[in-house]
Amino acid sequence: MSQDTVGGATALSVPALARRGAQRPVSPGRRLRAKEGRSGMVMTTPFLALFAMFFVAPFVYSVILSFKSPLTGAYSGLLNYRSVFSNGAYWSAIVRMAYFGAIQVTVMICLAIGLALLLDSPYCRGRRIFALIYFLPYAVPGVIAALMWSFLLEPDLDSALKVPQLLGLASGPLQPLSFRAALYAIMLIVTWEWTGYNMTILLTSLTNVPRQVLEAAKVDGASELSIATRIKLPMVRRTVVFVVVLSIIGTLQLFNEPLILNNIASTGSSLAPNQIIYNTAFSFGNQELAAAQSVILALITIVATVVFFGIARRRGNPLGTTKAVAK
Amino acid sequence: MSSATTTLRAPASRGSGSRLSRHFKVSATTGLLILAAAIVVAPIYWLVIASSKSTSQLFNTSTFLPPSHLSWIANFKSLFSYGGSYFGWWLLNSFIYSTVTATLATAVSTLCGFGLAKYSFKGRGAILAIVLGSFVVPSTALVLPIFLLEHFIGLTNTYEGVILPLIVYPFGVYFMSIYCADAVPDVLMDSSRMDGAGELRTLWQIARPILMPGMVTLFLLEFIGTWNNFFLPLVLLGSQKLFPVTVGLSAWSSALNIAGAGQPLYPEVILGSLVSVLPMLILFPFLQKYIARGLTFGAVAGE
Repeated sequence: MSQDTVGGATALSVPALARRGAQRPVSPGRRLRAKEGRSGMVMTTPFLALFAMFFVAPFVYSVILSFKSPLTGAYSGLLNYRSVFSNGAYWSAIVRMAYFGAIQVTVMICLAIGLALLLDSPYCRGRRIFALIYFLPYAVPGVIAALMWSFLLEPDLDSALKVPQLLGLASGPLQPLSFRAALYAIMLIVTWEWTGYNMTILLTSLTNVPRQVLEAAKVDGASELSIATRIKLPMVRRTVVFVVVLSIIGTLQLFNEPLILNNIASTGSSLAPNQIIYNTAFSFGNQELAAAQSVILALITIVATVVFFGIARRRGNPLGTTKAVAK
Repeated sequence: MSSATTTLRAPASRGSGSRLSRHFKVSATTGLLILAAAIVVAPIYWLVIASSKSTSQLFNTSTFLPPSHLSWIANFKSLFSYGGSYFGWWLLNSFIYSTVTATLATAVSTLCGFGLAKYSFKGRGAILAIVLGSFVVPSTALVLPIFLLEHFIGLTNTYEGVILPLIVYPFGVYFMSIYCADAVPDVLMDSSRMDGAGELRTLWQIARPILMPGMVTLFLLEFIGTWNNFFLPLVLLGSQKLFPVTVGLSAWSSALNIAGAGQPLYPEVILGSLVSVLPMLILFPFLQKYIARGLTFGAVAGE
């Protein structure tokens, strides 16, 4: 459709172009360009105005607030930051997220890579329907996914959790929503929600690997497994880095799932840093301290992103020999 | 196509043994893919089954099988009439927030992306740098100060209060600026100008039809993003009547755990969850292509 429009518009305007050309003023170029430049600037203003109001202003305000005293509202230096640094619950939540990310992101990205490679292999039948099914959880809000799973992980509601007990393998039904197991339950929920999303990104990237390279490897007698791990994977390495970074950011921002699980099964109200920030601001009404907590979390997120990108770039090509293959 | 080439080649280069091994590999691959698909679908299947049960059926009948007596109608009535009949409002609110936000965000981002891609002016580079730089700021860090600022100007607990911050979508601007640079030829714009069209008219009449697929992608990403959003409306809204469905169901779910909070809302929360995801799940096969293109954009552009 867009192709037709392009052709149509050009065809229409060619005679017009010729007609105008004849009576063109001597040197309109510079004047026209300056005027156009202004139109370009005008086009960016609605976004910039909203960006200033709802992005820059809150960000700056948050930083200013974090330096104010919760009691007097006066400038109080690093008071709030000192109180964050001595807050054990806050830092154990940060460490918990590091642990969470180390396990969950690794498992999820491996699953996503595995599924994407399977779907991209010549042994795959029904690629489109499987790709669609895996991507479905993206359409399910995190809150709803957490609700759904919290019921499925409740032994009273889900008889499957009693199977180990019936087989004599456990003394009671499995309790995935107990205080100690909740973190792993959240890993399961998040993995269910986001594996297909990451797989979708990886699969698109795999589809862009030049087919000649794969054909050449096949002619050379490479097995499908070694084509997958030694050619395809290194060639989509940047995409892998991209989805890992997205997942790290997502982990540090975890909020919906622990909140819903706590609503339903009292799994803890300070499991994730964002839960603590929320409680500081709204249960305890300490906006200034909450601002300091959220500034630090934002800084940790930014540093984690930059450091991971840095490591990925520095290490060059840990997965294989892209360059050799590309030759 | 690839399967055709392999069947042609197979008899010439390999014996029947390897055809058997190929058959095995296809079966093993399909088996693994089906297993993964079953895990993805299981909770959604359970949600459909469970939504047909009454509270006592939920606790007493087989988890993954439909009950002998379906309670859908009773559950539906209860879902839409419970506690001041708010559920209908929540659905409508989610739809309003998502549609309005997605429309405005697409318009604002396309306008800005087009301006950045097709014109050169002072400050253009700085704007692009700011847009890219804003990617690393986690959005949850902005929720609290947005609440405080909106409280100051009286925007909390309003529709605009939720919609305005969500219109700001830096990824959309980045996406559209690349899309415009690739899709709209300069020649076309020049000829439109020669015809005497103003810049906005050029954008609307000449560029818009070309940009339509990209705008659909942006609209869908923002629509789903807003529909799924929870943290921002949770913080900004106090009045039940303005809740989107995610915040509403979360409020109901917290009553499940409080002893003596009255009738437990299991059937309502379960059916409510199903009703809130079903439209998107049904439309998803038709929209998947557009959505996937948007998601993969960041990664592929980085290659």
